[in-house]
Amino acid sequence: MNAIKNKAAEQVTPPGKSLFQSLQGFIASIKFSIILLTCIALGSIIGTIIKQGVGPDEYLSLYSEHTYQIINLLGLNDVYHSPWFIALLFLFAINLTLCTVRRFMPAFKGSKKASVPEESAMMDMSMSFRASTSIDDAHLFSILKGYRISYSGEEGKVFQKGALSKYGVLLIHTSIMLILIGGFVGLVAGFKGFMVLHKGDIKNTITIGGEKPYEKPLGFSIKCKEFQVSFYPNGAPKDYVSTVEVIENGKIIFEKQIRVNEPLSYKGIHIYQASYGSAPSFTFTIGGERVSLREKEAYRNDNISLMPIRFEQDIHNFGPGIMVAYLEQGEPRTVWFVKNIERFNEKIIQGVPVRFVDIQENIYTGLSVSRDPGIWIVWAGFAFILFGLYINFFQYYRRIYIRNIAGGYLVAGIAIKNKEAFKKEFEMLREKLNGIPS
Amino acid sequence: MAFHHKILGIVTLLYLCLFFIHLIFFAFKKEKIVAIMWPLLYGTLGLHTVGLILRWLESYRHGMGHAPLSNFYESLVFYAWCVSLIVVFMKKRLNYPAITICATVISLFLMGYASISPSVDRNIQPLVPALQSNWLHIHVLTCFLAYASFAVSFISGFLYMFTWKNVIPPRDILDEINYRSVVVGFPMLSAGIFTGAVWAHYAWGSYWSWDPKETWSLITWIVYAVFLHARLMRGWKGKKIAILSIVGFASVIFTYFGVNFILSGLHSYAT
Repeated sequence: MNAIKNKAAEQVTPPGKSLFQSLQGFIASIKFSIILLTCIALGSIIGTIIKQGVGPDEYLSLYSEHTYQIINLLGLNDVYHSPWFIALLFLFAINLTLCTVRRFMPAFKGSKKASVPEESAMMDMSMSFRASTSIDDAHLFSILKGYRISYSGEEGKVFQKGALSKYGVLLIHTSIMLILIGGFVGLVAGFKGFMVLHKGDIKNTITIGGEKPYEKPLGFSIKCKEFQVSFYPNGAPKDYVSTVEVIENGKIIFEKQIRVNEPLSYKGIHIYQASYGSAPSFTFTIGGERVSLREKEAYRNDNISLMPIRFEQDIHNFGPGIMVAYLEQGEPRTVWFVKNIERFNEKIIQGVPVRFVDIQENIYTGLSVSRDPGIWIVWAGFAFILFGLYINFFQYYRRIYIRNIAGGYLVAGIAIKNKEAFKKEFEMLREKLNGIPS
Repeated sequence: MAFHHKILGIVTLLYLCLFFIHLIFFAFKKEKIVAIMWPLLYGTLGLHTVGLILRWLESYRHGMGHAPLSNFYESLVFYAWCVSLIVVFMKKRLNYPAITICATVISLFLMGYASISPSVDRNIQPLVPALQSNWLHIHVLTCFLAYASFAVSFISGFLYMFTWKNVIPPRDILDEINYRSVVVGFPMLSAGIFTGAVWAHYAWGSYWSWDPKETWSLITWIVYAVFLHARLMRGWKGKKIAILSIVGFASVIFTYFGVNFILSGLHSYAT
């Protein structure tokens, strides 16, 4: 272990290195790791202080125009996806790989076979004793619980325990790489979008947000059969449930209730209960026919085409009203309907009597839709990292040497980490074998 | 007043008692006083546990039935419990009155703040849909055990800055305690972040959304990762490590309190 460290230290500053070589050395150094981690941490802090991903108006209400220009230029309105932040993560990935390789290469190359040290060397070790009784293997194995034999020869034996802990750091670093790779896969091959469904709606596309939102086809359709919100007596929300059907090629594949914490999964796409809201719909009688329309929803037949375009809760204290756009001889016109005033709730448009009858509140469900093919790589990274932390910090590597000498045998032990605990263990071993301190 | 509130009130008084017993010890230096400190801490922790369980049971009577880990009040009480638990867990190492008095002060502050501050709602509240998950238990438990271990690390780092013969433990011991508590806290924080990520995947649709709480937990994680590398790879000891543990705990405090009060985000249950 110490030998490895010294070797690594030598590599950092050998004399007469070219600029390229010293740059290479720097990129693979722990100093560079610390600088990068500090920059990542500082960048993250900026991201929590400056509001992320809102429109220019909101920034201009908080900062001066000059500051806003700087924010925009440096991508501080979306720090975590800005080129410099991604570049920092990328550099960190390279640095981590190089550091790990540099640290573990010597260990893999030079994994010498264990051997029993010379008698004098064993006597010099801080933990050693001699025993004069004879010893048989079965007895030895029963005392050295959990130890494995790593060398056995005529002159003696070498036992070891906790060998796995040597690979803890390697496992942790590899897992961090896995998490970064998983995140990258998700960023490149995944998507995240949104879908709003009223009861009865069927949709086969989702809206992908961003600077220029667009619709993306899902490959199947989702029908909202029912949406319910329930509340606790104190008014806090208790449960949001969307009952949906997955429809593909005209066939209902299955039906499922989506709740918060209980998403729907189909073909690698996850659909989550994200939000809900309510939108009014307006009931008209158009030439005797009863029609229910939402805002910006057009109605057309041979004689008439119209569309409710603006809803007001209260118009000059006359109650709720709706502005309707229609075409008269090809010219667009608008007219206000006021629900509670007899004179204003009926109009003749294109010779057809139109009457504004009722307003209904319709709740809709907001579903968040995402696909992330990198997720299992990330999960694997999480699992390995925890296992790596466990073996690195709660297991430790130690060796026990046993050398046959005239009139008995000599025992010595060595541990690099956790010497305190090993000393106790070694003391117990000495008592069991009736050893005499050497 | 509900029974669990009474029990937790008594627990707060017991922490106050523990604090005064420590003061008496420092005034008179009688070893006998130390002898009653640990049993009293065990008793306090036991009653604290009873209080939490009673509150849990009480929530079933209100038809809500959830662990007392769901709002700011409950998190404060739970944090105090975790600090005491870690102190008991690391008893062999932490058997110094100067350390236990600091831990007591932290628990007392948390309990006192929870029960006195007018801005803290002490009622049992129903769980909002996002919190209705079994991940709640393991996520909160791992996070707060990490925060508690980091509190112990902070205590040793803080005490390292002072010398007071026969009161403050020797520096090399403080240094070792500091490292040991980070060794417990760091894997716990990692587990807390990972369980949170898995939960977020099921509840919010994304395992990482750079929510301020997530981001600050990552920052805290980075600080302690630097701590461990500085110590194990660069051989940092003593004052430098003590400063790092103080910086780390400042980050913990910001992750826990600061994010709730100053920044807003998805984790806004706790205000």
